[in-house]
Amino acid sequence: MAEHSTDKQHWAAQRERGSFWLMKLTAFGLRLLGRRPMTPVLYGIVLYFFVFGRRARHNVRQYQDYLAQWSGRSELRPTLRSVFGQFMAFGESLLDRLDAWHGKLKLSQVTLHDPDGVRQRLMKNRQGGRGEILVGTHLGNLEVCRALAELGEQVPLNVLVHTANVAHFNRLQSAAGDHQLHLMQVSEMDAALMLDLSQRLDRGEWLAIAGDRVPLQDGRRVVVDFLGHPAPFPQGPWMLAGLLRCPVNLMCCLKIDGRYQIHLESFIDAPAWDRRQREALIKGWAQRYADYLARKCLLAPRQWFNFHPYWHVDAPLPATGENDAQPRRVAP
Amino acid sequence: MTTQDPVSAQAALEQEIAQLIIDTLNLEHLTVADVAVDQPLFGEGLGLDSVDALELALALQKHYAIRIEADVKASRKHFATVASLAALVQEQRSACGS
Repeated sequence: MAEHSTDKQHWAAQRERGSFWLMKLTAFGLRLLGRRPMTPVLYGIVLYFFVFGRRARHNVRQYQDYLAQWSGRSELRPTLRSVFGQFMAFGESLLDRLDAWHGKLKLSQVTLHDPDGVRQRLMKNRQGGRGEILVGTHLGNLEVCRALAELGEQVPLNVLVHTANVAHFNRLQSAAGDHQLHLMQVSEMDAALMLDLSQRLDRGEWLAIAGDRVPLQDGRRVVVDFLGHPAPFPQGPWMLAGLLRCPVNLMCCLKIDGRYQIHLESFIDAPAWDRRQREALIKGWAQRYADYLARKCLLAPRQWFNFHPYWHVDAPLPATGENDAQPRRVAP
Repeated sequence: MTTQDPVSAQAALEQEIAQLIIDTLNLEHLTVADVAVDQPLFGEGLGLDSVDALELALALQKHYAIRIEADVKASRKHFATVASLAALVQEQRSACGS
């Protein structure tokens, strides 16, 4: 029973202590020893989390099961090995993340798929013009994108994050030498935040936000079909797009055959909404995004790094846990 | 700023804000005359919701070069009617030292 209730925990309420220590340890080891001797150590750490992370194991299995059913590809069905493989992929992505922060992963080592010329628009904003929104995902390695954007391009990028967990990563990132990237902890959209974001866009800065995690507090979520089952997705990115009248692009960074591929594409060119259709529009965008994610999952099936219960449509909002910010509303 | 007497300046601002609400939220079936200054904007009144409030807040801030801090109780009060919005704008404009 107790196990069952923890199953229902919202991802944002779960402490990322485990992965924080894992990252800290690997960061330390990497600095001291370099990457190669760390690999067996990483196997050990990942094995530890695999053995004791019953909840995460269950969630990974469910994801792999849904992916196999949805795609009709039976070779994707979960096995002990494939579930462990997904844990390992996560461990590896942590190493890559640190490499990226240290500037060891060069832009030239990454293949860029950018049919719509998103990067060009990003570069152009160094000379002015209005910024745009990048929606990222926890499929693949979000951090590599961020690090590359920062180290390779020097483009002002504001990363909007929901949780208090971020404090851990901030500490680690500043230890890794990253000072320019602007992480903004956003617990609720309010008038002052909107103005701030709008001004940043006007200055040519870009905003980055994850499209695949529902924020804890304000419950702005929309249920859409993902891999054949209803799943709650955040409304946040699409609300921002509509409110700020800002083009949206999608970003995804997958490791395929040992090499990173960054996929960029335009998603919404000129968001405009009528208040009567707003809800339907948001749902439509979220559904299109879920479809996009499903397609990308097939490119890198084991790089789905959402280890929390994902298809939790009617999960009650947990009482405020370690998040200190309370919901704020601009009006009734 | 103007030589108008305070009462008509207030009325002008209220009209301007009513127009801004109509334009921002595409309420094209309404005219300024339809939006009474003391009509509730949310719920039973004009029927706006919290996302409308955000749109409106952003538009007001840009249009009047002011900043609306999101204090729950205060903004609830400020966003109640056109009249209260006008009062907010006036207060913020003088606070921002324009």
